Amino acid sequence: MAVDDNRRVPLYEGSTQYRNWRFSPDKLQETRSSLNAAAVAGIRKAFEADSAVPRTRQPGSSANVSFLTPEEENLLVKLYIGKISQLCGLFKFSEEVEATAITYLKRFYLKNTVMDWHPKNVMLTALFLATKTTNHPISLEFYASHIPKTTPSDVLDLEFLVAQSLGFEFSVWHAHRALWGLWLDIQTLPDISITTLSQVQEIALQQIRASRLTDAELIYTPSQIALACLSLASSDLAKQWAESKGSLSVLAIVENIQQLIAGEGTDPEVEAVREVDKRLRLCKNPEKVPGSKAYLAKKAEEEATALARRSKKADDVKKAMEAGDPFGDELGMREGALDDDD
Amino acid sequence: MDAVEKANAERQKRWIKDQKVGEGTYAVVYRGHEASTGKKIAIKKIKVGQFKDGLDMSAIREVKYLRELHHQNIIALFDVFSSKTNLNLVLEFLDADLELIIKDRSIVFLPADIKSWLAMTLRGLEFCHRNWVLHRDLKPNNLLIASDGQLKIADFGLARDFADPGYKMTCQVITRWYRPPELLFGSRYYSTAVDIWSVGCIFAELMLRIPYLPGESDVDQLRTTFRALGTPTEEDWPGHTKLPHYVAVGQFPKPPLRDLFTAATADALNLLSKCLIYEPRKRISARDALNHPYFFALPNPTNPAKLPKSASQLAPRPLEEVDGNVDPSGSAAAPGTKAAGTAARLKRKASVSEAETRAVARRLDFTLSSSQRSP
Ligand SMILES: Nc1ncnc2c1ncn2[C@@H]1O[C@H](COP(=O)(O)OP(=O)(O)OP(=O)(O)O)[C@@H](O)[C@H]1O
Ligand SMILES: [Mg+2]
Repeated sequence: MAVDDNRRVPLYEGSTQYRNWRFSPDKLQETRSSLNAAAVAGIRKAFEADSAVPRTRQPGSSANVSFLTPEEENLLVKLYIGKISQLCGLFKFSEEVEATAITYLKRFYLKNTVMDWHPKNVMLTALFLATKTTNHPISLEFYASHIPKTTPSDVLDLEFLVAQSLGFEFSVWHAHRALWGLWLDIQTLPDISITTLSQVQEIALQQIRASRLTDAELIYTPSQIALACLSLASSDLAKQWAESKGSLSVLAIVENIQQLIAGEGTDPEVEAVREVDKRLRLCKNPEKVPGSKAYLAKKAEEEATALARRSKKADDVKKAMEAGDPFGDELGMREGALDDDD
Repeated sequence: MDAVEKANAERQKRWIKDQKVGEGTYAVVYRGHEASTGKKIAIKKIKVGQFKDGLDMSAIREVKYLRELHHQNIIALFDVFSSKTNLNLVLEFLDADLELIIKDRSIVFLPADIKSWLAMTLRGLEFCHRNWVLHRDLKPNNLLIASDGQLKIADFGLARDFADPGYKMTCQVITRWYRPPELLFGSRYYSTAVDIWSVGCIFAELMLRIPYLPGESDVDQLRTTFRALGTPTEEDWPGHTKLPHYVAVGQFPKPPLRDLFTAATADALNLLSKCLIYEPRKRISARDALNHPYFFALPNPTNPAKLPKSASQLAPRPLEEVDGNVDPSGSAAAPGTKAAGTAARLKRKASVSEAETRAVARRLDFTLSSSQRSP
């Protein structure tokens, strides 16, 4: 376990990542299935609202729409993980930014579905947010102008939603960092040939990158993933290290991660994704399509609620003032109560 | 409504805003309470719509670090929720800060009080550093005081992590009076030592009751620093003349700290001098500072619950507070002169018996947990 600098391990265990963003494979699947089911039910309803004539009586009604399965949603997300890497190459962003943006994208889709929010936009926002949370901010203007068909507001419109979906938990522990710690540790092992080492490290890092296309980081700790990637590069070295720590048992977990990376750690097949994306155009939530009837209806509903809330607030204050001086000299209270932009 | 929006609305309902209590550069702060328990809290409302690059860096840093750092001497962040274009941080309610207490002329500090505040500051800071977080804006105004006397490091709007050694960072951090010379000289590769310098300045200020190194400009800050601590030689601080913004600001001799800090013990001065070592790599770490003999010598640090409080702590706090970069009313004598020391020698107004009771206050617990101890 203790691949990181020893002092960091207990800290990792107090982190939001450890507490809130690790799941069993079953739990992951269950989360995605129930999100998907809820979205399908919601979108069916929205389709009805979007049509004057009930869709069920028309060809192409929601009954006939072929919604995406959880697996298909995941496939699309995976495609956009690859796009993040491409963009990071274009902007020359650091490994830290890239890995963080990928984590954000994955976490976002544990709270939302592709049918509500298309990963293309979410990916752009997640990446922009990651530049800020890793302390490498760039101007939005610059960012948007270097991405085809993208305006600043495309990026900004989803920023709050993305931050909210992440639970405002921006800090991420990465496997590539754990690999670095492991690396320093290995160099202290006896009988290690430094010449083969640098080659092993390069391969291990490639495996870390491949692991980002999988669910590994949602299931395992950064140190476990790092050790698995090292093991893929040189199983002897990984074993030697585990032996030196007296924790050969970790190698069983490592085995699972290796299989995950070998099975899932490649970009999805373009043809398959294209088909999914085509179907997504027909089954995406009309409430999220600006201009559609369902979108306008939802907006109107939201505004009515906000208006009701505001006038209730104003009312409360008025009543209170008429009733005498219930707030005493707390001037700020009135300000606070009337503060309608919250 | 989306699940995410619904969850946010649920969070929002948990917290009730009561009264506006303050305004910072980018946020309005309200007193409030938790709907279900009545627990007092502060809500820091950050307007986000106004920034053309979206969520601004201060807000992001504050949220990022406070979400992870849970420690008795770091302000607790209970929750975060958004409302339209605002980001709301639900924080522990803290009714005073160290600046307010330092400036309150009606209270006198016992050496044990100073030790207690310093210990709490260092414990919070040691935790930050252990988590690879630099605070980069330590000053009395950012050390808040809870009603039970616990000191909490707040305001992580400039914080960053430093796990990447050799990564270039901005030198435009830390309020000037608490800024170390390496930053004034434009060093872009710095570390935990920058926070320690600030702690040294705060320690000195606790003893003097006025800011220790109040420079009027960045260059004057260097001059003020060197006047107080002597101009560094190449031997004191190898390579400093090669730093990007190096300027020669004059040769000042190194006066003994004792001249200014007349009432301090030898241990106190030794620790202070180690916090203010020019060569950043030789400056003491937060961990070593906590193990310094100063903390093990008598008097024992005051129990936080028994620390003096400011009378104004109970009244609403002034909305405008003096910024560290401006001259504070010019009341007290300039530091670096002997007259300043008199403030520290004032007798506490409290009765002798109270002072005595406070002196035997339970010793603070310095034991580090086993995890902290491992190398
Ligand atoms: N946790 C809190 N509990 C009670 N009051 C608080 C709390 N945090 C802030 N305040 C009050 O709100 C004011 C504004 O706080 P904030 O941290 O936004 O800005 P600041 O530190 O005063 O200024 P700046 O933004 O320039 O650093 C403070 O001066 C203080 O009076
Ligand atoms: Mg502040």
